[in-house]
Amino acid sequence: MTRVNRFNSPVPDHEYLADGDVLFYLRDAVTQLLDHQQEYTTFGLIRYFAEYFSSVKNSNHVLFREYNYIRATPHNRASFIRVFWRCYRQIGKSGDLLSTLEYRSLLQLLCPDFPLEMVQRAARIVQMEDVVDCLMSFSDFLYALQLHFYYPEFLNSMLLIYQDLLAGKSPNTVIVPTSTSIDLLRSVAAENISKEKQQQQQDGVDPSTLAQCIDALCDRFKHSHPPRSCMREVLGQTNKVYYYSFLMSLAKHESINQTIGALPSRAEFLIDPEMDQDLDKLIAQISVSPSSNSSGSAVGGLKEEHPPQEED
Amino acid sequence: MADKEKRRSGATPPGMPEGNATKSDSDREFLSRAGVGELLRGAILKMVEARSDDPIGFLADHFCNLASVSETGTAGYSDVDHFSDGPLSAGAQEQQHLNRALWHLRLAHHSQRSAFSNNVRVAYDLLNLTGPLRRSGEVPQGPDVSCTDSPTEGGGGGGGVKGGLYTQTLQCLCSEGGVPASTSAPLLQRLHCQDHEAVPYDIFRHGVLTCAVFSDYIRQAQRLYAEVCCPDEGPASRALCLSVLGTLKEALETSQGCEANVCDNSNMKVNSCLEGNVKALCYLEASAKISPYRLGQAMAGAQARGPGGNMDAKEFENAAAELFITRVKVVS
Repeated sequence: MTRVNRFNSPVPDHEYLADGDVLFYLRDAVTQLLDHQQEYTTFGLIRYFAEYFSSVKNSNHVLFREYNYIRATPHNRASFIRVFWRCYRQIGKSGDLLSTLEYRSLLQLLCPDFPLEMVQRAARIVQMEDVVDCLMSFSDFLYALQLHFYYPEFLNSMLLIYQDLLAGKSPNTVIVPTSTSIDLLRSVAAENISKEKQQQQQDGVDPSTLAQCIDALCDRFKHSHPPRSCMREVLGQTNKVYYYSFLMSLAKHESINQTIGALPSRAEFLIDPEMDQDLDKLIAQISVSPSSNSSGSAVGGLKEEHPPQEED
Repeated sequence: MADKEKRRSGATPPGMPEGNATKSDSDREFLSRAGVGELLRGAILKMVEARSDDPIGFLADHFCNLASVSETGTAGYSDVDHFSDGPLSAGAQEQQHLNRALWHLRLAHHSQRSAFSNNVRVAYDLLNLTGPLRRSGEVPQGPDVSCTDSPTEGGGGGGGVKGGLYTQTLQCLCSEGGVPASTSAPLLQRLHCQDHEAVPYDIFRHGVLTCAVFSDYIRQAQRLYAEVCCPDEGPASRALCLSVLGTLKEALETSQGCEANVCDNSNMKVNSCLEGNVKALCYLEASAKISPYRLGQAMAGAQARGPGGNMDAKEFENAAAELFITRVKVVS
């Protein structure tokens, strides 16, 4: 973050405040306080704010919150992915393969209104086709979900660009969406999914053309996007780019994973004995905190996941 | 808020606007009764003053500190009584103050002058155990503490930070900044004060600023060495290093005039704008001298002259440190 320019002229206060989503968290803290006035007043106001901001700092704040909250800031998105990993890492360890709907259920245990659509998009990246009931490994699914959940605006824009290129438009006329609303992008993208599925098998796109368009997109894009060098690297490895294999390569790309900072590398994905201790502490914390909406059933759900082999 | 109103809208039909109005009124009432506004305002002001790189972390620490202060009942540092019957020993308390002061000093980079100055002020007041915040103009009853070496008793005498605490602060700043103890030792020799001395604000600020700049400088020197030397080929050639050091020295000399002015004029707010411009110019010139082009020139020149052995990272670092330290005024 550039908070200081070279000649020491300070960044004005409102810019500093706007930079880091701090105002968003302050607003949410007050909203939560108003929603639970009685409990938090007895708890103590200063202690409440201390706990709220500590939990944001430690990425513990997204559990059982609504979808709009967890996707509101990059920090929240990364925290949610990390929490999902911490809670369900055992599945990866046991080697179970789950379906899209099963993953969605797991997600909804942590976020009650997590949308199916987001899960389907992640699944599509793994499966490279529009089949919903294919089974996926935990790590494949989570890395794909991470990519789509962390950079949704960018991926939506990129899909449109890709489709335009497939349709034969020259790169100069490809429309680079910058301020189009996310919902509009989503609906357009959804319409084109089935079209795209057919073309996927037959055509690809020239990597350097796509790289050019992506560069143009990044130059003007207001939202965050994966590091350009990583994308160029992936594009440089092939003669023809197919959309979902491109996304899968991005999902597996270690630098992008580190940029997001939520998950460990694939090699270390399943290794971490301390996490088990942390998980127990987390569950204990959540079950007594007033902020959990469905503490009883969710905690029960989490505990049931622990020895997955015992489920029937 | 919108969610809550949506939930309520089942109970209050749209034809009754008073329902919604009452709800937000009662919210406002609750917030003002609980004092949330002042609490947040204070927090935001502190945050903007400190300009920390991690605003969320800052708020978390700020509220945690506030919570522990209000919970343990210690009313800050203006309460003289708690030195005699506080629950913590004097040593542990001092350590606590030191940690908090260091935390404040870490918040903003020294190049952000006003935020950094604020934080130095807060840290100084934290470490100044002898009473309420003393602003300029207040004369303490003890010996005149505008002279730097008044030998007052620690903890109870004049209005300054204990020499020992001051030296400890500087040591922590250097080591946290990545400077090994051996490299920073000569610097600290010049800056330190005796344990029994009371350190006034100007000296404190000068010392802290120098250490912060020094840490940056050493890190820069380490990076420079990494550029010059390829790790596979062993330590860099001596001639090369010497010419790089020469360029560094030139750069420092260019900026030296300004640094000296800054130290002397630190209290003269009238000149601060002018001083800012002058400094900016000096840094421009200095960075031009240290630019890759000049460096490249120096390196080419060195290779032509021929090497005379190798210089390893530690030696380079020490030599660079020496260049800096010779320019530091000794605190007497």
